[in-house]
Amino acid sequence: MNAIDTAIRAAAASITVKGLTKAYDPQTVVIPPMDVELKAGEFTVVLGPSGCGKSTLLQMIAGLERVSGGKILIGAREVQDLEPKHRGCAMVFQNYALYPHMSVFENMAYSLKVAGMAKAERAERVAAVAKMLGLADYLHRKPGQLSGGQRQRVAIGRAIVREPAVLLFDEPLSNLDAQLRHDMRVELADLHRRIGATTVFVTHDQVEAMTLADRIMILNKGRIEQFDTPKAIYHHPASVFVAKFIGAPPMNILPVTGDGSALRLADGQVVANAPLTGAYQLGIRPEDIVVDGKADGHAVKAALRFREDLGSHSVLAADLGGSIVRVATPFGADIADRLELLLNFPTSRLHLFDVATGRAIPGAFGAQ
Amino acid sequence: MTSESTLFSNRWLPILLVAPFMLLIVLFFYVPIFQAFYWSFFLEQPFGGGSMFVGLDNFARVLSDREFWQAGWRTIIFMVTASSLAVLIPLILAVAADRKVRLSLPARNVLVWPKGVAGASIGVVFAFVFNPFVGILAPLNKAFPGIWAPGIDGTDAFITLIAAHVWGGIPFNFVILLAGLQSIPRTMHQAAAMDGAGPWRRIFDVQLPLIMPQLFLTLVLEFTESVTSAFALIDTITHGGPGGATTLLVYKIYKDGFSGYDLSGASTQTAILMIFVILLTAAQFVFLGRRINYER
Repeated sequence: MNAIDTAIRAAAASITVKGLTKAYDPQTVVIPPMDVELKAGEFTVVLGPSGCGKSTLLQMIAGLERVSGGKILIGAREVQDLEPKHRGCAMVFQNYALYPHMSVFENMAYSLKVAGMAKAERAERVAAVAKMLGLADYLHRKPGQLSGGQRQRVAIGRAIVREPAVLLFDEPLSNLDAQLRHDMRVELADLHRRIGATTVFVTHDQVEAMTLADRIMILNKGRIEQFDTPKAIYHHPASVFVAKFIGAPPMNILPVTGDGSALRLADGQVVANAPLTGAYQLGIRPEDIVVDGKADGHAVKAALRFREDLGSHSVLAADLGGSIVRVATPFGADIADRLELLLNFPTSRLHLFDVATGRAIPGAFGAQ
Repeated sequence: MTSESTLFSNRWLPILLVAPFMLLIVLFFYVPIFQAFYWSFFLEQPFGGGSMFVGLDNFARVLSDREFWQAGWRTIIFMVTASSLAVLIPLILAVAADRKVRLSLPARNVLVWPKGVAGASIGVVFAFVFNPFVGILAPLNKAFPGIWAPGIDGTDAFITLIAAHVWGGIPFNFVILLAGLQSIPRTMHQAAAMDGAGPWRRIFDVQLPLIMPQLFLTLVLEFTESVTSAFALIDTITHGGPGGATTLLVYKIYKDGFSGYDLSGASTQTAILMIFVILLTAAQFVFLGRRINYER
């Protein structure tokens, strides 16, 4: 651990959002009042489909977008009316936004120069960060002479050289190819482990969210659907939206009806015993369904429609009472050319959601 | 690399397509220029009827003429002041319009209109605008009699000329510079803002360096244009006066050639002016041009 790491860890501050709203006019509300707290040093991934307000939220924290109401606190300081430079945030942009006319060194040293830091100290700081990011040999180059991954690293270097209280990322990996994205993801995780900066990372990629985050904030139309650890989000989705957004393929959601003792599918087959009446939505992850095997739940009959072999596993799509159910099975399982499958839904793996609100109904099948 | 043959299968077609334009350029630019260079080595009869080869005598005569050097200096002063102002003022306007300051939308339209006005018309209008008795500076003359007198004061006449030239140059340069500013990605401003640079600092650290190609283009065009296009303004506003104070080289060439019938002298001066402009443009490319190329 060098001086930069220690300084950033010390500077890391919590972010508290109180009643924050953003509306362009009364009809176009991007973010309805939001309350949330991001802990100091925490890596938060803001995840959601395009247009859910995740970038707007980030820009409001950064000070690049005016807030329509509410407060943003960084540490104990109210910052919603401050200029970006007084907020202590640094940002990495999707297109990197490096200054093309400046060398890598000048790009990284620019914020220090603007802040009036002495030349020798600037050089020292930039050298330390460049070394940490493996950029020491490229300091004299212009951004145009670098590869995508190197530019990305310069953008990160430019952000952390200031030792910011908060580090903001706006879909920083989406311009990279698949291999590089994977490498950078690993590097980012490693970097965060070392410097411990409070980080807010906006993405629409669930893999980035699952692998990087301490906690994931899932946004839907500006509202927080769920804000929890990746594990909790995956295993205990708080709503149908979350259940369908996370996982590849996503969780199966089936309409079911309770008759007081059992939940039945649209075609009348019983999938679970529960003292419930009325309509519900039943969720189960593709990998939790057991094909042909014995499990602690009910077995239902489904018609196989097609299968995709992915090497590590196969995904089957089956028709179950008019809905398509996706099932993940080990690769090469002996189900070739069968038209009918027996699917066992383990009761402990079932999720129940309210039809009207889409919210999860915890404890519907006993302790989970 | 796509070869031209994929675009034009017929090798004569491209030549045919550029032919009309080439013809115009050759007929009205290269031929006269060549002619001027050719004549500068001959002593031409004023009313036709034969010429005599005199070698470099014309050049010796012109270069030892005090009036030529005076007109040359005036040309350079005009070129430097008028073209820097003709780039600087549109630059300020473009930065303001890019910032979307109040009224920038109507201003953007209004500023383009002078582009449609011919040089001579601009001259006639400015002769009125800066008229010491009825122009915008007339009240000043009422308060301090004689302070603004372009008719008798050479400096005042020169200022009038520069003002007219700059006004005529605003639209084109404004449009080019505004386009340059607007092509700077929004995130570049945001990144600079995050780095702590305020709006003023961003102009000098981010915007100006990034519109260098556009600034360079406008400056090169202005430098060459100010040398030649001043003619229409001089001819309508000052006629080179008072006392030759606004006789730039282009105007002197015209007067020597078409009023004084010194065709050889005018040709020689044209040749010298041409060489000067070529050298100047080449120098700009060498010293500025190669330093401003970078990928965005």
